[in-house]
Amino acid sequence: MQAAIQTKDMPIAGSPEATAKPSPLLELRAVTKTYGPVAALSGLEASVAPGEFVTVVGPSGCGKSTLFNIVAGLEEPDAGGILRFEGNSCHAADLLGRVSFMPQRDLLLPWRNVVDNAILALEVEGMPRAQARAKALKMLPEFGLTGFEKQYPHQLSGGMRQRVALMRTFLFERGLMLLDEPFGALDALTRAMMQRWLLDVWQKYRRTILFITHDVDEAIFLGDRVLVMTARPGSVKLEQVVDLPRPRRPEIVTAPEFVRLKRTLLDAIEEESMKSFQSAVAQEKAT
Amino acid sequence: MGATTSLVKDKAATGLRPAGRPAWLRKTARLLFGLAVTALIWESAVQLFVIRPVYLPRLSTILMAIAATPGAYVNGFLRTSAETLIGFATGSAFGVLTGIAFFRVRALREMIFPIFVVSQTIPVIAFGALVVLWFGNTLLAKAVIAFYLTFFPVTVNTLLGLETVDPKQVALMRSFGASSGQLLLRLQLPTALPQIFVALRLASSLSLVGAIVGEWFGDTTGLGVLLLQAMFTENVVAIWGALLAAALLGTGFYAVVAAAERRLVFWSAEQ
Repeated sequence: MQAAIQTKDMPIAGSPEATAKPSPLLELRAVTKTYGPVAALSGLEASVAPGEFVTVVGPSGCGKSTLFNIVAGLEEPDAGGILRFEGNSCHAADLLGRVSFMPQRDLLLPWRNVVDNAILALEVEGMPRAQARAKALKMLPEFGLTGFEKQYPHQLSGGMRQRVALMRTFLFERGLMLLDEPFGALDALTRAMMQRWLLDVWQKYRRTILFITHDVDEAIFLGDRVLVMTARPGSVKLEQVVDLPRPRRPEIVTAPEFVRLKRTLLDAIEEESMKSFQSAVAQEKAT
Repeated sequence: MGATTSLVKDKAATGLRPAGRPAWLRKTARLLFGLAVTALIWESAVQLFVIRPVYLPRLSTILMAIAATPGAYVNGFLRTSAETLIGFATGSAFGVLTGIAFFRVRALREMIFPIFVVSQTIPVIAFGALVVLWFGNTLLAKAVIAFYLTFFPVTVNTLLGLETVDPKQVALMRSFGASSGQLLLRLQLPTALPQIFVALRLASSLSLVGAIVGEWFGDTTGLGVLLLQAMFTENVVAIWGALLAAALLGTGFYAVVAAAERRLVFWSAEQ
Protein backbone atom coordinates (compact mmCIF):
# COMPACT_ATOMS: atom_id res chain seq x y z
CA MET A 1 0.00 0.00 0.00
CA GLN A 2 2.74 2.42 0.88
CA ALA A 3 4.60 1.62 -2.32
CA ALA A 4 1.58 2.70 -4.32
CA ILE A 5 1.45 6.00 -2.54
CA GLN A 6 5.10 6.66 -3.04
CA THR A 7 4.91 6.36 -6.77
CA LYS A 8 1.82 8.52 -6.77
CA ASP A 9 2.84 11.28 -4.44
CA MET A 10 6.56 11.60 -4.73
CA PRO A 11 9.02 10.97 -7.47
CA ILE A 12 11.94 9.12 -5.91
CA ALA A 13 14.82 7.42 -7.61
CA GLY A 14 14.97 3.68 -7.54
CA SER A 15 12.33 1.13 -6.78
CA PRO A 16 10.60 1.76 -3.46
CA GLU A 17 10.21 -1.96 -2.86
CA ALA A 18 13.97 -2.39 -2.79
CA THR A 19 14.43 -0.22 0.27
CA ALA A 20 13.31 -1.74 3.50
CA LYS A 21 12.12 1.56 4.92
CA PRO A 22 10.55 4.07 2.56
CA SER A 23 12.32 7.41 2.54
CA PRO A 24 10.35 9.86 4.66
CA LEU A 25 8.08 12.52 3.23
CA LEU A 26 8.86 14.82 6.11
CA GLU A 27 11.91 14.72 8.30
CA LEU A 28 12.81 16.90 11.27
CA ARG A 29 16.27 16.67 12.79
CA ALA A 30 17.40 18.51 15.92
CA VAL A 31 14.69 21.13 15.48
CA THR A 32 14.71 23.80 18.16
CA LYS A 33 12.50 26.84 18.61
CA THR A 34 12.81 29.49 21.27
CA TYR A 35 10.69 32.56 21.89
CA GLY A 36 12.90 34.92 23.82
CA PRO A 37 13.69 33.13 27.09
CA VAL A 38 11.14 30.36 26.48
CA ALA A 39 12.23 27.21 24.68
CA ALA A 40 9.22 25.65 22.98
CA LEU A 41 11.03 22.87 21.15
CA SER A 42 14.45 21.44 21.77
CA GLY A 43 16.20 18.88 19.60
CA LEU A 44 13.01 17.45 18.16
CA GLU A 45 13.47 14.48 15.86
CA ALA A 46 10.63 13.05 13.83
CA SER A 47 9.85 11.68 10.44
CA VAL A 48 6.70 10.81 8.56
CA ALA A 49 6.63 8.23 5.79
CA PRO A 50 4.41 8.70 2.74
CA GLY A 51 0.89 7.43 3.34
CA GLU A 52 1.43 7.16 7.05
CA PHE A 53 -1.01 8.36 9.71
CA VAL A 54 1.08 9.72 12.57
CA THR A 55 -0.52 11.05 15.71
CA VAL A 56 1.15 13.35 18.23
CA VAL A 57 0.17 13.46 21.91
CA GLY A 58 1.70 15.28 24.81
CA PRO A 59 0.99 17.32 27.92
CA SER A 60 -0.56 20.72 27.34
CA GLY A 61 1.89 23.44 26.48
CA CYS A 62 4.46 20.96 25.16
CA GLY A 63 5.02 22.78 21.90
CA LYS A 64 2.71 20.69 19.72
CA SER A 65 1.32 23.78 18.08
CA THR A 66 4.79 25.21 17.54
CA LEU A 67 5.73 21.99 15.79
CA PHE A 68 2.70 22.30 13.57
CA ASN A 69 3.30 25.93 12.77
CA ILE A 70 6.81 25.03 11.65
CA VAL A 71 5.63 22.18 9.45
CA ALA A 72 2.86 24.41 8.03
CA GLY A 73 5.53 26.95 7.11
CA LEU A 74 4.18 29.65 9.42
CA GLU A 75 7.16 29.79 11.74
CA GLU A 76 10.86 29.33 11.10
CA PRO A 77 12.73 27.02 13.52
CA ASP A 78 15.98 28.26 15.09
CA ALA A 79 19.09 27.90 12.99
CA GLY A 80 20.85 24.57 13.26
CA GLY A 81 17.89 22.24 12.88
CA ILE A 82 17.25 20.33 9.71
CA LEU A 83 13.93 20.28 7.92
CA ARG A 84 13.50 17.99 4.93
CA PHE A 85 10.41 17.70 2.79
CA GLU A 86 10.11 15.20 -0.05
CA GLY A 87 13.78 14.43 0.43
CA ASN A 88 14.99 18.00 0.04
CA SER A 89 16.27 20.17 2.83
CA CYS A 90 14.25 23.37 3.03
CA HIS A 91 13.20 26.39 5.07
CA ALA A 92 9.86 26.33 6.83
CA ALA A 93 8.66 29.18 4.62
CA ASP A 94 9.14 26.93 1.58
CA LEU A 95 6.37 24.74 2.97
CA LEU A 96 3.76 27.49 2.64
CA GLY A 97 1.22 26.28 0.12
CA ARG A 98 2.72 22.77 0.07
CA VAL A 99 1.14 21.30 3.18
CA SER A 100 -2.58 21.29 3.79
CA PHE A 101 -3.10 22.59 7.25
CA MET A 102 -6.17 22.39 9.39
CA PRO A 103 -6.08 24.43 12.59
CA GLN A 104 -7.91 23.61 15.81
CA ARG A 105 -10.91 25.79 15.12
CA ASP A 106 -12.71 25.40 11.83
CA LEU A 107 -12.07 29.06 10.89
CA LEU A 108 -14.79 29.03 8.26
CA LEU A 109 -15.51 32.40 6.68
CA PRO A 110 -19.03 33.48 7.72
CA TRP A 111 -19.73 35.20 4.37
CA ARG A 112 -19.04 32.08 2.34
CA ASN A 113 -21.41 29.14 2.03
CA VAL A 114 -20.31 25.53 2.48
CA VAL A 115 -19.01 25.03 -1.04
CA ASP A 116 -17.24 28.38 -1.21
CA ASN A 117 -15.57 27.75 2.13
CA ALA A 118 -14.41 24.34 0.96
CA ILE A 119 -12.81 25.74 -2.19
CA LEU A 120 -10.99 28.61 -0.46
CA ALA A 121 -7.57 27.00 -0.79
CA LEU A 122 -8.19 26.03 -4.42
CA GLU A 123 -9.19 29.62 -5.19
CA VAL A 124 -6.02 30.92 -3.57
CA GLU A 125 -4.11 28.49 -5.78
CA GLY A 126 -5.71 30.12 -8.81
CA MET A 127 -8.22 27.46 -9.87
CA PRO A 128 -11.27 29.02 -11.60
CA ARG A 129 -14.25 29.13 -9.24
CA ALA A 130 -16.58 27.09 -11.44
CA GLN A 131 -14.07 24.28 -11.71
CA ALA A 132 -13.29 24.33 -7.99
CA ARG A 133 -17.01 24.30 -7.12
CA ALA A 134 -17.64 21.34 -9.40
CA LYS A 135 -14.85 19.48 -7.67
CA ALA A 136 -16.22 20.30 -4.23
CA LEU A 137 -19.77 19.33 -5.16
CA LYS A 138 -18.57 15.85 -6.09
CA MET A 139 -17.00 15.47 -2.65
CA LEU A 140 -20.05 16.62 -0.66
CA PRO A 141 -21.66 13.20 -0.14
CA GLU A 142 -18.50 11.72 1.33
CA PHE A 143 -18.30 14.50 3.84
CA GLY A 144 -21.96 14.09 4.77
CA LEU A 145 -22.82 17.53 3.47
CA THR A 146 -25.18 16.73 0.61
CA GLY A 147 -27.93 19.31 0.43
CA PHE A 148 -26.02 21.75 2.62
CA GLU A 149 -23.88 23.28 -0.11
CA LYS A 150 -25.72 26.60 -0.01
CA GLN A 151 -25.84 26.88 3.78
CA TYR A 152 -23.72 29.37 5.67
CA PRO A 153 -21.49 28.37 8.60
CA HIS A 154 -23.82 29.83 11.25
CA GLN A 155 -26.53 27.46 10.03
CA LEU A 156 -24.42 24.34 10.63
CA SER A 157 -23.73 22.19 13.69
CA GLY A 158 -20.23 21.92 15.14
CA GLY A 159 -19.63 18.51 13.56
CA MET A 160 -20.70 19.75 10.16
CA ARG A 161 -18.54 22.83 10.37
CA GLN A 162 -15.61 20.60 11.18
CA ARG A 163 -16.40 18.43 8.16
CA VAL A 164 -16.46 21.50 5.94
CA ALA A 165 -13.04 22.48 7.31
CA LEU A 166 -11.78 18.94 6.67
CA MET A 167 -13.17 19.05 3.17
CA ARG A 168 -11.29 22.31 2.58
CA THR A 169 -8.14 20.54 3.77
CA PHE A 170 -8.77 17.49 1.57
CA LEU A 171 -9.51 19.56 -1.50
CA PHE A 172 -6.17 21.27 -1.14
CA GLU A 173 -4.34 18.22 -2.40
CA ARG A 174 -0.91 18.17 -0.88
CA GLY A 175 1.50 15.40 0.04
CA LEU A 176 1.04 16.06 3.74
CA MET A 177 -2.03 16.93 5.79
CA LEU A 178 -1.63 18.57 9.17
CA LEU A 179 -4.59 18.25 11.49
CA ASP A 180 -4.40 20.12 14.78
CA GLU A 181 -6.92 18.62 17.23
CA PRO A 182 -9.64 18.77 14.61
CA PHE A 183 -12.21 17.02 16.82
CA GLY A 184 -11.20 18.65 20.10
CA ALA A 185 -14.31 20.81 20.36
CA LEU A 186 -16.84 18.10 19.50
CA ASP A 187 -18.95 16.03 21.86
CA ALA A 188 -17.86 12.44 22.47
CA LEU A 189 -20.41 10.82 20.18
CA THR A 190 -19.83 13.11 17.20
CA ARG A 191 -16.15 12.75 17.81
CA ALA A 192 -16.18 8.95 17.63
CA MET A 193 -18.19 9.13 14.42
CA MET A 194 -15.82 11.65 12.92
CA GLN A 195 -12.80 9.49 13.79
CA ARG A 196 -14.22 6.47 11.98
CA TRP A 197 -15.24 8.62 9.11
CA LEU A 198 -11.76 10.17 8.87
CA LEU A 199 -10.18 6.71 8.71
CA ASP A 200 -12.50 5.77 5.84
CA VAL A 201 -11.69 8.90 3.93
CA TRP A 202 -7.98 8.55 4.64
CA GLN A 203 -7.95 4.99 3.36
CA LYS A 204 -9.78 6.03 0.25
CA TYR A 205 -7.59 9.02 -0.61
CA ARG A 206 -4.36 7.65 0.84
CA ARG A 207 -3.00 10.88 2.17
CA THR A 208 -0.19 11.30 4.63
CA ILE A 209 -1.50 12.71 7.89
CA LEU A 210 0.15 14.27 10.90
CA PHE A 211 -2.50 14.59 13.58
CA ILE A 212 -2.25 16.40 16.92
CA THR A 213 -4.52 15.36 19.77
CA HIS A 214 -4.50 15.31 23.54
CA ASP A 215 -6.71 12.24 23.60
CA VAL A 216 -4.69 9.03 23.88
CA ASP A 217 -7.58 6.83 22.70
CA GLU A 218 -7.89 8.93 19.59
CA ALA A 219 -4.13 8.80 18.98
CA ILE A 220 -4.07 4.98 19.12
CA PHE A 221 -7.34 4.45 17.27
CA LEU A 222 -6.26 6.57 14.32
CA GLY A 223 -2.50 6.28 14.12
CA ASP A 224 0.03 3.98 12.53
CA ARG A 225 2.47 5.50 14.94
CA VAL A 226 2.06 7.66 18.02
CA LEU A 227 4.65 10.25 19.00
CA VAL A 228 4.59 11.23 22.67
CA MET A 229 6.11 14.62 23.31
CA THR A 230 8.02 15.65 26.40
CA ALA A 231 7.11 18.62 28.57
CA ARG A 232 8.41 21.99 27.38
CA PRO A 233 10.88 22.32 25.74
CA GLY A 234 9.25 19.73 23.53
CA SER A 235 10.95 16.82 21.87
CA VAL A 236 9.83 13.30 21.07
CA LYS A 237 9.88 11.19 24.22
CA LEU A 238 8.45 8.01 22.83
CA GLU A 239 7.67 6.68 19.43
CA GLN A 240 5.09 3.91 19.61
CA VAL A 241 4.14 1.86 16.58
CA VAL A 242 0.46 0.90 16.62
CA ASP A 243 0.26 -2.49 14.95
CA LEU A 244 -3.48 -2.91 15.29
CA PRO A 245 -5.09 -4.25 12.13
CA ARG A 246 -7.02 -1.99 9.81
CA PRO A 247 -9.81 -1.29 9.19
CA ARG A 248 -10.25 -0.62 12.88
CA ARG A 249 -13.62 -1.23 14.44
CA PRO A 250 -14.92 0.91 17.31
CA GLU A 251 -14.79 -2.14 19.64
CA ILE A 252 -11.03 -2.18 19.31
CA VAL A 253 -10.70 0.33 22.13
CA THR A 254 -11.44 -2.44 24.63
CA ALA A 255 -9.13 -5.02 23.04
CA PRO A 256 -6.19 -6.09 25.27
CA GLU A 257 -3.57 -4.89 22.73
CA PHE A 258 -5.23 -1.50 22.64
CA VAL A 259 -5.33 -1.23 26.41
CA ARG A 260 -1.68 -2.29 26.66
CA LEU A 261 -0.64 0.45 24.21
CA LYS A 262 -2.75 2.94 26.09
CA ARG A 263 -1.06 2.01 29.38
CA THR A 264 2.40 2.57 27.89
CA LEU A 265 1.45 5.90 26.37
CA LEU A 266 -0.40 7.14 29.45
CA ASP A 267 2.60 6.34 31.64
CA ALA A 268 4.86 8.33 29.36
CA ILE A 269 2.45 11.28 29.23
CA GLU A 270 1.85 11.21 32.96
CA GLU A 271 5.56 11.42 33.64
CA GLU A 272 5.85 14.46 31.39
CA SER A 273 2.71 16.08 32.78
CA MET A 274 4.16 15.80 36.28
CA LYS A 275 7.36 17.45 35.08
CA SER A 276 5.58 20.38 33.52
CA PHE A 277 3.35 20.69 36.58
CA GLN A 278 6.32 20.70 38.91
CA SER A 279 8.20 23.24 36.84
CA ALA A 280 5.11 25.43 36.80
CA VAL A 281 4.92 25.22 40.59
CA ALA A 282 8.63 25.95 40.90
CA GLN A 283 8.21 28.98 38.66
CA GLU A 284 5.32 30.18 40.75
CA LYS A 285 7.46 29.96 43.88
CA ALA A 286 10.37 31.75 42.22
CA THR A 287 8.29 34.75 41.23
CA MET B 1 -32.60 31.42 13.37
CA GLY B 2 -32.42 30.67 9.67
CA ALA B 3 -34.99 27.94 10.11
CA THR B 4 -37.47 30.17 11.86
CA THR B 5 -37.29 32.92 9.28
CA SER B 6 -37.82 30.45 6.44
CA LEU B 7 -40.71 29.00 8.37
CA VAL B 8 -42.31 32.40 8.67
CA LYS B 9 -41.77 32.96 4.95
CA ASP B 10 -43.34 29.60 4.14
CA LYS B 11 -46.36 30.43 6.23
CA ALA B 12 -46.77 33.75 4.51
CA ALA B 13 -46.37 32.19 1.10
CA THR B 14 -48.88 29.43 1.57
CA GLY B 15 -51.31 31.81 3.22
CA LEU B 16 -51.68 29.78 6.41
CA ARG B 17 -52.35 32.99 8.23
CA PRO B 18 -55.18 34.92 6.65
CA ALA B 19 -53.51 38.28 7.29
CA GLY B 20 -50.16 36.94 6.02
CA ARG B 21 -48.22 39.52 4.00
CA PRO B 22 -44.56 39.68 3.06
CA ALA B 23 -42.49 41.02 5.96
CA TRP B 24 -41.37 44.14 4.12
CA LEU B 25 -44.92 45.10 3.22
CA ARG B 26 -46.02 44.77 6.82
CA LYS B 27 -43.07 46.85 7.97
CA THR B 28 -43.76 49.57 5.42
CA ALA B 29 -47.42 49.63 6.36
CA ARG B 30 -46.53 50.06 10.03
CA LEU B 31 -44.06 52.81 9.22
CA LEU B 32 -46.63 54.71 7.15
CA PHE B 33 -49.15 54.28 9.91
CA GLY B 34 -46.65 55.67 12.43
CA LEU B 35 -45.99 58.67 10.20
CA ALA B 36 -49.70 59.30 9.76
CA VAL B 37 -50.27 59.20 13.52
CA THR B 38 -47.40 61.63 14.12
CA ALA B 39 -48.77 63.98 11.46
CA LEU B 40 -52.19 63.82 13.03
CA ILE B 41 -50.87 64.57 16.52
CA TRP B 42 -48.83 67.46 15.14
CA GLU B 43 -51.76 68.93 13.29
CA SER B 44 -54.24 68.60 16.15
CA ALA B 45 -51.82 69.62 18.91
CA VAL B 46 -51.09 72.93 17.20
CA GLN B 47 -54.80 73.63 16.99
CA LEU B 48 -55.71 72.22 20.36
CA PHE B 49 -53.05 74.04 22.40
CA VAL B 50 -53.17 77.12 20.17
CA ILE B 51 -49.43 77.02 19.54
CA ARG B 52 -48.28 80.18 17.78
CA PRO B 53 -46.98 79.58 14.27
CA VAL B 54 -43.64 81.20 15.22
CA TYR B 55 -42.94 78.18 17.35
CA LEU B 56 -44.62 75.46 15.37
CA PRO B 57 -46.79 75.96 12.31
CA ARG B 58 -49.41 73.42 11.35
CA LEU B 59 -48.11 70.58 9.22
CA SER B 60 -50.76 71.25 6.62
CA THR B 61 -49.61 74.88 6.32
CA ILE B 62 -46.03 73.71 5.72
CA LEU B 63 -47.08 71.12 3.16
CA MET B 64 -49.24 73.66 1.37
CA ALA B 65 -46.35 76.14 1.27
CA ILE B 66 -44.18 73.44 -0.30
CA ALA B 67 -46.91 72.61 -2.79
CA ALA B 68 -47.23 76.29 -3.71
CA THR B 69 -43.60 76.53 -4.87
CA PRO B 70 -42.58 72.94 -5.52
CA GLY B 71 -39.90 73.92 -8.02
CA ALA B 72 -37.60 75.51 -5.44
CA TYR B 73 -37.84 72.49 -3.17
CA VAL B 74 -37.35 69.91 -5.92
CA ASN B 75 -34.35 71.78 -7.34
CA GLY B 76 -32.91 72.30 -3.89
CA PHE B 77 -33.44 68.66 -3.05
CA LEU B 78 -31.74 67.46 -6.22
CA ARG B 79 -28.85 69.87 -5.91
CA THR B 80 -28.17 69.02 -2.27
CA SER B 81 -28.53 65.30 -3.03
CA ALA B 82 -25.88 65.58 -5.74
CA GLU B 83 -23.46 67.38 -3.41
CA THR B 84 -24.12 64.89 -0.63
CA LEU B 85 -23.70 61.87 -2.88
CA ILE B 86 -20.46 63.07 -4.45
CA GLY B 87 -19.02 63.96 -1.06
CA PHE B 88 -20.15 60.66 0.42
CA ALA B 89 -18.85 58.52 -2.43
CA THR B 90 -15.44 60.17 -2.63
CA GLY B 91 -15.12 60.41 1.13
CA SER B 92 -15.97 56.75 1.64
CA ALA B 93 -13.64 55.57 -1.11
CA PHE B 94 -10.84 57.75 0.23
CA GLY B 95 -11.54 56.59 3.77
CA VAL B 96 -11.43 52.90 2.87
CA LEU B 97 -8.26 53.33 0.81
CA THR B 98 -6.43 55.29 3.51
CA GLY B 99 -7.63 52.79 6.11
CA ILE B 100 -6.08 49.98 4.07
CA ALA B 101 -2.90 51.97 3.49
CA PHE B 102 -2.52 52.72 7.21
CA PHE B 103 -3.14 49.07 8.00
CA ARG B 104 -0.53 47.80 5.56
CA VAL B 105 2.16 50.45 6.05
CA ARG B 106 2.73 51.23 9.67
CA ALA B 107 5.15 54.08 8.91
CA LEU B 108 2.51 55.79 6.78
CA ARG B 109 0.05 55.56 9.61
CA GLU B 110 2.48 57.14 12.05
CA MET B 111 3.27 59.93 9.58
CA ILE B 112 -0.16 60.80 8.22
CA PHE B 113 -2.72 59.70 10.79
CA PRO B 114 -1.94 62.52 13.26
CA ILE B 115 -2.43 65.01 10.41
CA PHE B 116 -5.83 63.45 9.75
CA VAL B 117 -6.73 63.93 13.38
CA VAL B 118 -5.60 67.57 13.30
CA SER B 119 -7.63 68.15 10.13
CA GLN B 120 -10.74 67.00 11.96
CA THR B 121 -10.24 69.44 14.82
CA ILE B 122 -10.57 72.39 12.43
CA PRO B 123 -14.19 73.62 12.67
CA VAL B 124 -16.03 72.87 9.47
CA ILE B 125 -16.99 76.55 9.16
CA ALA B 126 -13.33 77.62 9.01
CA PHE B 127 -12.55 74.88 6.56
CA GLY B 128 -15.60 75.80 4.49
CA ALA B 129 -14.43 79.40 4.07
CA LEU B 130 -11.14 78.09 2.71
CA VAL B 131 -12.81 75.69 0.33
CA VAL B 132 -15.04 78.41 -1.08
CA LEU B 133 -11.93 80.51 -1.70
CA TRP B 134 -10.36 77.58 -3.55
CA PHE B 135 -13.29 76.34 -5.58
CA GLY B 136 -15.70 79.28 -5.64
CA ASN B 137 -19.42 78.83 -5.28
CA THR B 138 -19.51 75.59 -7.22
CA LEU B 139 -21.10 72.25 -6.62
CA LEU B 140 -17.59 70.90 -6.23
CA ALA B 141 -16.93 73.17 -3.22
CA LYS B 142 -19.94 71.70 -1.38
CA ALA B 143 -18.93 68.19 -2.30
CA VAL B 144 -15.45 68.85 -0.92
CA ILE B 145 -16.91 69.98 2.41
CA ALA B 146 -19.12 66.89 2.52
CA PHE B 147 -16.03 64.83 1.71
CA TYR B 148 -14.12 66.51 4.53
CA LEU B 149 -16.75 65.51 7.08
CA THR B 150 -17.10 62.01 5.66
CA PHE B 151 -13.72 60.42 5.16
CA PHE B 152 -12.33 60.42 8.69
CA PRO B 153 -14.80 58.08 10.40
CA VAL B 154 -14.48 55.75 7.43
CA THR B 155 -10.68 55.72 7.68
CA VAL B 156 -10.81 55.02 11.40
CA ASN B 157 -13.40 52.28 11.16
CA THR B 158 -11.73 50.60 8.19
CA LEU B 159 -8.53 50.49 10.18
CA LEU B 160 -10.34 49.18 13.26
CA GLY B 161 -12.13 46.55 11.20
CA LEU B 162 -8.97 45.36 9.51
CA GLU B 163 -7.30 45.01 12.88
CA THR B 164 -9.99 42.68 14.19
CA VAL B 165 -8.93 39.97 11.70
CA ASP B 166 -8.08 36.77 13.55
CA PRO B 167 -4.33 36.04 13.24
CA LYS B 168 -5.19 32.32 13.06
CA GLN B 169 -7.30 33.00 10.01
CA VAL B 170 -4.39 34.87 8.44
CA ALA B 171 -2.10 31.94 9.26
CA LEU B 172 -4.51 29.54 7.59
CA MET B 173 -4.69 31.63 4.42
CA ARG B 174 -0.90 31.95 4.36
CA SER B 175 -0.57 28.18 4.72
CA PHE B 176 -2.59 27.93 1.51
CA GLY B 177 0.07 30.13 -0.07
CA ALA B 178 -2.11 33.26 -0.26
CA SER B 179 -0.49 36.49 -1.46
CA SER B 180 -1.08 39.71 0.47
CA GLY B 181 -3.56 40.86 -2.18
CA GLN B 182 -5.54 37.63 -1.80
CA LEU B 183 -5.44 38.04 1.97
CA LEU B 184 -6.87 41.53 1.66
CA LEU B 185 -9.68 40.70 -0.75
CA ARG B 186 -10.70 37.31 0.56
CA LEU B 187 -10.20 37.78 4.27
CA GLN B 188 -9.34 41.20 5.62
CA LEU B 189 -11.78 43.45 3.76
CA PRO B 190 -14.81 41.16 4.23
CA THR B 191 -13.94 40.89 7.94
CA ALA B 192 -13.77 44.68 8.19
CA LEU B 193 -17.00 45.23 6.27
CA PRO B 194 -19.41 45.32 9.25
CA GLN B 195 -17.18 47.90 10.93
CA ILE B 196 -16.88 49.91 7.69
CA PHE B 197 -20.65 50.03 7.41
CA VAL B 198 -20.97 51.50 10.87
CA ALA B 199 -18.91 54.41 9.55
CA LEU B 200 -20.83 54.59 6.28
CA ARG B 201 -24.10 55.01 8.12
CA LEU B 202 -22.57 57.82 10.12
CA ALA B 203 -21.01 59.27 6.96
CA SER B 204 -24.38 59.32 5.20
CA SER B 205 -25.70 61.89 7.68
CA LEU B 206 -22.40 63.75 7.97
CA SER B 207 -22.15 64.25 4.23
CA LEU B 208 -25.59 65.89 4.23
CA VAL B 209 -24.47 68.24 7.01
CA GLY B 210 -21.38 69.07 4.95
CA ALA B 211 -23.41 69.83 1.85
CA ILE B 212 -25.87 72.08 3.69
CA VAL B 213 -23.15 73.96 5.58
CA GLY B 214 -21.31 74.35 2.28
CA GLU B 215 -24.33 76.01 0.75
CA TRP B 216 -24.38 78.60 3.53
CA PHE B 217 -21.19 80.08 2.12
CA GLY B 218 -23.21 81.28 -0.82
CA ASP B 219 -25.19 79.64 -3.57
CA THR B 220 -28.51 80.02 -5.32
CA THR B 221 -30.02 76.54 -5.08
CA GLY B 222 -30.00 73.85 -2.43
CA LEU B 223 -31.79 73.01 0.80
CA GLY B 224 -29.18 74.95 2.76
CA VAL B 225 -29.92 78.03 0.65
CA LEU B 226 -33.66 77.64 1.28
CA LEU B 227 -32.98 77.32 4.97
CA LEU B 228 -30.80 80.44 5.04
CA GLN B 229 -33.25 82.51 3.00
CA ALA B 230 -36.10 81.50 5.24
CA MET B 231 -34.06 82.42 8.29
CA PHE B 232 -33.24 85.89 6.96
CA THR B 233 -36.85 86.58 6.08
CA GLU B 234 -38.01 85.04 9.35
CA ASN B 235 -40.34 82.85 7.37
CA VAL B 236 -41.03 80.10 9.88
CA VAL B 237 -43.11 78.04 7.49
CA ALA B 238 -40.32 78.05 4.90
CA ILE B 239 -37.77 77.02 7.56
CA TRP B 240 -39.95 74.06 8.42
CA GLY B 241 -40.39 73.26 4.76
CA ALA B 242 -36.64 73.16 4.14
CA LEU B 243 -36.25 71.17 7.33
CA LEU B 244 -38.74 68.54 6.21
CA ALA B 245 -37.04 68.29 2.82
CA ALA B 246 -33.63 67.87 4.48
CA ALA B 247 -35.09 65.24 6.83
CA LEU B 248 -36.52 63.36 3.86
CA LEU B 249 -33.16 63.43 2.09
CA GLY B 250 -31.21 62.41 5.17
CA THR B 251 -33.55 59.61 6.14
CA GLY B 252 -33.79 58.31 2.59
CA PHE B 253 -30.05 58.24 2.18
CA TYR B 254 -29.54 56.58 5.55
CA ALA B 255 -32.15 53.97 4.65
CA VAL B 256 -30.38 53.19 1.37
CA VAL B 257 -27.04 52.73 3.15
CA ALA B 258 -28.65 50.59 5.86
CA ALA B 259 -30.37 48.44 3.21
CA ALA B 260 -27.06 47.97 1.40
CA GLU B 261 -25.54 46.94 4.72
CA ARG B 262 -28.24 44.35 5.42
CA ARG B 263 -27.69 42.89 1.97
CA LEU B 264 -23.90 42.88 1.98
CA VAL B 265 -23.18 42.07 5.62
CA PHE B 266 -25.90 39.45 5.92
CA TRP B 267 -23.79 37.25 8.15
CA SER B 268 -23.01 39.63 11.01
CA ALA B 269 -26.59 39.91 12.30
CA GLU B 270 -26.99 36.16 12.36
CA GLN B 271 -23.89 35.22 14.28
